[in-house]
Amino acid sequence: MAKNLSGELHVASANRLRDGMVVFLDEAGEWTTRLDRAAVARDERSAEILLARAQAEAFGVVDSFLVAVAESNDGTLEPLSLREKIRASGLTFDAIAAEAVRYA
Amino acid sequence: MPDTHFYRYDDYDRALVSERVAQFRDQVRRRLAGELTEEQFKPLRLTNGLYLQLHAYMLRIAIPYGTLSTRQLRQLAAIARKYDRGYGHFTTRQNLQLNWIKLEGAPDALAMLAEVDMHAIQTSGNLIRNVTADHFAGAAIDEIEDPRIWCEIVRQWSTLHPEFSFLPRKFKIAITGSPNDRAAVRVHDVGLRLWRNEAGETGFEVIVGGGLGRTPMIGKTIREFLPKDDLLAYLEATLRVYNRYGRRDNLYKSRIKILVHEIGPEKMREDVEAEYAAMKDSALKLTPETIEAIARQFAPPALRSKRTKVPEVEALKLENRAFALWLKSNVAPHRVPGHAIVTASLKPAGAPPGDASSAQMEGVADIADAWSQGEVRVSHEQNLVLPHVAIEALPEVYRALERLGFAEANVGKITDIIACPGLDYCALANARSIPVAQRISTHFAELSRQHDIGDLKIKISGCINACGHHHVGHIGILGVDKNGVELYQISLGGDVDFGKTALGTILGPAVEADKVVEAVDALVATYLEARQADERFVDTYRRIGAQPFKERVYGAV
Repeated sequence: MAKNLSGELHVASANRLRDGMVVFLDEAGEWTTRLDRAAVARDERSAEILLARAQAEAFGVVDSFLVAVAESNDGTLEPLSLREKIRASGLTFDAIAAEAVRYA
Repeated sequence: MPDTHFYRYDDYDRALVSERVAQFRDQVRRRLAGELTEEQFKPLRLTNGLYLQLHAYMLRIAIPYGTLSTRQLRQLAAIARKYDRGYGHFTTRQNLQLNWIKLEGAPDALAMLAEVDMHAIQTSGNLIRNVTADHFAGAAIDEIEDPRIWCEIVRQWSTLHPEFSFLPRKFKIAITGSPNDRAAVRVHDVGLRLWRNEAGETGFEVIVGGGLGRTPMIGKTIREFLPKDDLLAYLEATLRVYNRYGRRDNLYKSRIKILVHEIGPEKMREDVEAEYAAMKDSALKLTPETIEAIARQFAPPALRSKRTKVPEVEALKLENRAFALWLKSNVAPHRVPGHAIVTASLKPAGAPPGDASSAQMEGVADIADAWSQGEVRVSHEQNLVLPHVAIEALPEVYRALERLGFAEANVGKITDIIACPGLDYCALANARSIPVAQRISTHFAELSRQHDIGDLKIKISGCINACGHHHVGHIGILGVDKNGVELYQISLGGDVDFGKTALGTILGPAVEADKVVEAVDALVATYLEARQADERFVDTYRRIGAQPFKERVYGAV
């Protein structure tokens, strides 16, 4: 069954092929690591078109899909689900500092 | 220091691994050039241990039976520094995961692994995975025989085994050579326990159909005593029965535990024994020469007995309480008098469990070279082990580990938490694990309190796949997603100790993320009020049942 796309804003996301980084499709049809530059679909029809564009721009990315987002008054986008928040913003804890501990 | 106490690749092994690196390099080139689709490429990268997770690729590196030379550990550190973000995550399968690897760098990382006789083959896919073992193997005072000899024999037999490369589902084997099970053999697809019979012969108890995940099961013994030279014949028979009858129509019912559950252990035994009877005298029979050739490579280091009471150690014990606690929790007896097994805790208060930076890995390698015969082990409880340390060197080893942040005196205690990577990294997870572990570990950081609480194993999984082994935690914590909210289901009474292996029972409704610490605190308080004599948490739970814990937790949260 197709996903219900009504009532939500969406951006298109994928993982970049060469390094796996999370990317979003911008208005120009380029993949960017910046969520604030992502093209936003504001209705169901636009979301379908955005997904089709993302799938057509598949070279260099893996598994494109739509992410439901919220937009604040100042235009900041934030994914609705925790999973997508983590994908967009990174770890929710401080990873071990790679060289913080040096063996004397 | 040379790799003298465990298996070294021969020309065949080296050629096989090098060929795989070359093949994968070409596969990556073709994928990046657009000559292969993701659909075509995915099984190829998974076969080489390369997963695509939430933010990045993850490389799962096999550490056979958890044994590492210092040369290998330094190379892992170098790979993490050069091709990842300078740290890695040691897993409950005794492997190492690098969470930020780039596809374009992966072939070079694999080439660096091959330089030190390592690889990432068979860390994914429906085949026989990396074989795990007791992390005290070859050093434990209670050991009957070193299980790594048999792990290595199984590794050689299973590597690229043509008949078992497309099993219904993945297949995990664990082997212990001690009566005290440190390898969790009853919760593996096949668990093997070496023991000595009345005639003085050693052989294997063969346990089949254990596992965690969505449908946790404790394995059933289908053979009490298997002569060692028949190990491969019996495993081949078992895998053949599973390969034939294991379900391929339903992913959730495809593990051997479901087959054993559905047909029953008796029928499983009957079928395996019939296969075994047909092949026990075949080429699979291990000759004494073959066994001896492998066993020679695991010859124990030539340790001389030393004094067991060392004045410097006794003095430091009196003046440094943290050291005294560390001796109690992180130092285990060694088979050679005057020596000890040291566990370096990768669980300092508030840290992600099992993570080590490149610098820390190099530090542990330096310590192992200086004081542990150049050997390091990875435990399934996500710590590193120095297996051969002289008691007289313990103060120096302690100070060196302290400088690395790995001297926390908490092994087996409430902050020695097993946690899977969870939703912060994993594409399968429903909820976060590491931040929950960090909060618990910070809350209970005070060492005297931890030692007062005593042995208590907390295991946390971020989804039902149970990579954090929550089913067998004294306190198990499972993250679930309910309408977009992370909730944590608590279970009590799980255990992997031999003879006491048990799956935990769910305590009640899942609690919210910010209530987990409070809930654990309530569980501990209930235990401390009710415990008798030297009872561990899990013993008290078994004696008094869930109700008092339940009342306290749900009263508290």
